[in-house]
Amino acid sequence: MTTTREAGEAILAIEAVTKRFGGLRAVDDASFAVERGSITALIGPNGAGKTTLLDLISGYDRPDSGAVRFEGRRIDGLAVHRVARRGVVRTFQLTRVFAAMSVRDNMLLAAQRHPGEGLHRLAFGRGSARRAEEAARERAERLMRGFALESKADDYAGALSGGQRKLLEFARALMTGPRLVLLDEPMAGVNRALGAKLLDEVERLRREEGMTFLFIEHDIDVVMRRADRVVVMAEGAVVADGPPAIVRRDPRVIDAYLGRKGDAA
Amino acid sequence: MSIFNVDFWIGVGVVSGIYGIFTLGLQLNVGFTGLINLGQVGFMSVGAYAMGMLVVDAGWPLALAFPAAILISIATGVLVGLPTLRLRADYFGIVTIAFSEIVRYVFQNAAFAGGNQGILGYDADWRVFQAWASGRLAAIGLGEVAQLPLLVAVWASLLLCLAALMALQSSPWGRVLKAIREDEDAAAALGKNVFAFKLQSLGLAAALATVAGFFLAMNVTYLYPSEFDPSFTFFGYAVLILGGFASYGGVVVGAVLLCALTEGLRFLELPLSSGQSGSLRFIIVGLILIGLSMFRPQGLFGGKAEMQLRA
Repeated sequence: MTTTREAGEAILAIEAVTKRFGGLRAVDDASFAVERGSITALIGPNGAGKTTLLDLISGYDRPDSGAVRFEGRRIDGLAVHRVARRGVVRTFQLTRVFAAMSVRDNMLLAAQRHPGEGLHRLAFGRGSARRAEEAARERAERLMRGFALESKADDYAGALSGGQRKLLEFARALMTGPRLVLLDEPMAGVNRALGAKLLDEVERLRREEGMTFLFIEHDIDVVMRRADRVVVMAEGAVVADGPPAIVRRDPRVIDAYLGRKGDAA
Repeated sequence: MSIFNVDFWIGVGVVSGIYGIFTLGLQLNVGFTGLINLGQVGFMSVGAYAMGMLVVDAGWPLALAFPAAILISIATGVLVGLPTLRLRADYFGIVTIAFSEIVRYVFQNAAFAGGNQGILGYDADWRVFQAWASGRLAAIGLGEVAQLPLLVAVWASLLLCLAALMALQSSPWGRVLKAIREDEDAAAALGKNVFAFKLQSLGLAAALATVAGFFLAMNVTYLYPSEFDPSFTFFGYAVLILGGFASYGGVVVGAVLLCALTEGLRFLELPLSSGQSGSLRFIIVGLILIGLSMFRPQGLFGGKAEMQLRA
């Protein structure tokens, strides 16, 4: 089969996933799929289980039942770093940059399969480590330029503004060369212009590199304009799943989420 | 004894070199990986005892027993790390200090380790080397200073370890360690096997502790359990804090300053018993640490920004 990269195929499948915390079902029998090359939004009121679901996908937590498949293979229960190595990278609701490291080191750290990170290679294979480092530096410089971070390259990441940290975290995620990017509220704490820039970049990466995005977002306008598919969660369950135009007219969605905000069309 | 006694200061040089090597391992764990290793002395005693027993009980030459002891100590580090490195930082600290105390009590009570009598007679090979080296030094007029070969060996080792650690720290490997110190969850999200890196950091620290333990054993001529009580680790922390957080060079300077200061106190003519002046040593160390934390929390050579950004 040569159809593995064909659009419309599910790159990520959430299959009847349940996660309980004590008596609470944080995620309750949730199922949906994310198509390869899509920008899928995950929305829902606070406490709907969105971030928990992201934790279950990225390995920070494991489901009590159900399965998470990435490119057909199960990733639920894998260690966080193994999920990342498969090509799934995430960002955090509250940005997590390595504060006491330079912006450049934050970027370089995200290079994958770097032989210089192995002690044995440092002793017996310095050539390959040096070449990998050069390649990583080039890639990092390019990405930093793309996000206007190049003038900050030598600054501590902890000295960046909130918006710049968000950009750095996103650029760093891209540095890993991911196939699926999970963004937890990429617009939170960012001014609209910067947020728009970030989402322009998301659209460009999807268009030019076929990258897939799943993002949690509260701003309904952004979701409706930017996502080609919307998954709506409420109280742990998936209550709707479809194109934005259809989802926003779904009475269950209006009831569960949009109606409460009073801004449903 | 005069304050200008050469043998005395050479002895101080040896001890500060030993503390330097010991604390480089602590710095690797604490300053660069964020591992609060409070059991460093346990790795030192495992290494030193392993070396002693291989020579005395198994009849190995010292030159073979020493590298074997390093491997045994690294294996111990891995063994201690496997079940504990997933613990949160403070719990890991508690477990490591428990480990070092367990080691000490075992050596104190086990027949194979000589109990309170300890281990004696492992340093014949070293004496031969030292006699030979003294002979060579006599040719340039330095034959009178008995401990000089040990001083040179300790400091050559210290500087070698220092250079190796600084090279490692500037490598991509060192970058991952630092990221783990900053935020291990975020490092894992970027595909780093945090657990494996922590194990490597702990194993290397155990190896450094063994090198320090080797020179300690050569310096004191016999091994006994109370040499390895937790205050050794805490003195190492005092060296680390004085020298500076996340600075290997600071460790070397801190070790020299602290050892010179605490040993040099002997020259003060104080109406104290030897037990009392021994306690005074710790009072002074305590006061220095309090003063540092008030006026210069990053230590002499630590990066202030690096420390504050972490908070």
